[in-house]
Amino acid sequence: MPVAVLIAYLPIILVAATAIAVMLGIAWRREHAVTVAASVLGLGLALIAQVFAWRVIPVHTPLLDFDGLALLAGILILASTLVCAILAHGYLESFHGAREEFYVLLLCAAAGGLVLVASRHLASLFIGLELLSMPLYGMLAYAYHEPRSLEAGIKYLILSAAASAFLLFGMALLYAQTGELRIDVLMASLDSHTGIWGLAGVGLMLVGLGFKLSVVPFHLWTPDVYEGGPGPAATFLATASKVAVFALLLRLMLSTPVAQGDWLRAVFTGLALASMLIGNLLALTQSNLKRILGYSSIAHFGYLLIVLVVADGLAAETGGVYLITYVLSTLAAFGVVILISSTISGEDAAALHHYRGLFWRRPYLTAVLTVAMLSLAGIPATVGFIGKFYLIALGVEGQRWWLVGGIILGSAIGLYYYLRVTITLFMAEPGMHRRDASDDWGSRAGGLVVLAVAGLVILLGVYPAPMIELARALGGITIR
Amino acid sequence: MEYAFYLSGLVAVLATLGVISNTNPVHGVLYLVVSLLAVAMVFFALGAPFAGALEIIVYAGAIMVLFVFVVMMLNLGETAVAQERIWLQPRTWLGPSLLAGVLLLTLIDLLLRGDGGVLVQGDVLSAKQVGTILFGPWLLVVELSALLLLAALVTASHVGRLRHPGSDSKIGEDAP
Repeated sequence: MPVAVLIAYLPIILVAATAIAVMLGIAWRREHAVTVAASVLGLGLALIAQVFAWRVIPVHTPLLDFDGLALLAGILILASTLVCAILAHGYLESFHGAREEFYVLLLCAAAGGLVLVASRHLASLFIGLELLSMPLYGMLAYAYHEPRSLEAGIKYLILSAAASAFLLFGMALLYAQTGELRIDVLMASLDSHTGIWGLAGVGLMLVGLGFKLSVVPFHLWTPDVYEGGPGPAATFLATASKVAVFALLLRLMLSTPVAQGDWLRAVFTGLALASMLIGNLLALTQSNLKRILGYSSIAHFGYLLIVLVVADGLAAETGGVYLITYVLSTLAAFGVVILISSTISGEDAAALHHYRGLFWRRPYLTAVLTVAMLSLAGIPATVGFIGKFYLIALGVEGQRWWLVGGIILGSAIGLYYYLRVTITLFMAEPGMHRRDASDDWGSRAGGLVVLAVAGLVILLGVYPAPMIELARALGGITIR
Repeated sequence: MEYAFYLSGLVAVLATLGVISNTNPVHGVLYLVVSLLAVAMVFFALGAPFAGALEIIVYAGAIMVLFVFVVMMLNLGETAVAQERIWLQPRTWLGPSLLAGVLLLTLIDLLLRGDGGVLVQGDVLSAKQVGTILFGPWLLVVELSALLLLAALVTASHVGRLRHPGSDSKIGEDAP
């Protein structure tokens, strides 16, 4: 095996090896802190390896294709998994029962995400997607003595299995049409041979992938699963899992020749508009922060679909920038929810009244949540604004006026519920049932990570050049 | 050979319809076994005897064993016997048997013709070729499948644990 291939594979190998090591460690002796340390060490090494892989890309292997986009998405996946692992440490401390298995599942899912973003063959695509989803069933149902958590796990299991069936059926139809399993060849040969079965195949694959992205007609599971699942699992679902699927879709669309696939762009336009509007409108009436974040992620991926519609020139860079902004803001918001929920076992503290008057007790934590909400809403001086700016610029450049209108309308609606959360934080309301972060949250690993993420949200919002440079450099190395 | 392919395919579709249209799980499983056997026949007809054999061993075999285990573990006694008697009515087994009979006749006819190697088209894919591909360029997929199974196993072992609200985790303590 050439050294370049080995270096490109190294992050996946490290993550998988860490998963095995953690599993063996659990079999030997159960030590929560050691398990977390090993997982974090493995993920950190993988992240470093992923950055080093920059020097060798693009690397082609029969099943995986490491290009700039795969590398960028891999960095995001590993970083959010790392944050999830650190937050899970504090969260699971108060958990009654086996805590250590969570990290095995987390590491397996991260490996699946890394494979998915680099896949160039339908077989690796499917295995990667399953490896990403399968551990999530266990992570979502991890607190299985809570009915909500079990419900979330089973809901995701059944619906995800149905989506995988759609995906497989679509792949079978495409294979019947083109006799090809390599994605790039497949996408290129679609238009010249596309018959009714090829169209049906692409449609069914879109259903499967759309489910994982929870864009609008396939979004019904999202709020329930986000609300019921344990905080770290929901965080992983909202960040790493979605980033992986979206990066894959972006690579698919970039490898489709521009003149072809107009109908595909029309479909994406419809999905994008529906996701932006319905996601934001449904979030208006929610009184649970995790549900709001679920609907907000539906809306955000509606915005992001513009990248797939335009899919040229600026698109890869925009996709990269927006994914970074989305991941940072979502990690900060979920991080606060996890910190608040960490003190006692049981259901997560996600109802809005738990957060009422939080400012008067935990001013710094409130600042973090406020920054996250403002960033998700796209207020200037936060990183969310840079992402929105890029998307609108892309929409204007591609002359997709409907979509630009959709973003503006969606953001206007979104402002209402993001600000509603923020206002709740500052309302003094004595005598309410309170949930609170532990007193020393700021000096613990989870708290430090959340503060760091919030700091990045502000820093990159004021000085976005490094982020843009990264997205541009990596978006440019895309294989056509 | 083509008629064997199409006939098996038809049987597979009909049997699968039987699986999803039956409200009783036992009836559904009977149809499922026939459906899997029919798919195995399709694999044989297409020249993939290895995949066909695996289909029979893993799917039809494993599902049957799993089902037997579930019935054994439930161990329902008198009512179960009465229930089984009700299940033994022709309405239950006639459909699957008929479909399985069609498969058997197709198989016998092909065997009587003597030539085992006839295919719809293409070459026979032997186990050796499958192995060479799986453990050569596709090794990654095999490894990832192993990781996938590991995750499934960990999930099952965690969620399947008996509930011990107060207990801290010790191996063996939670075993039933």
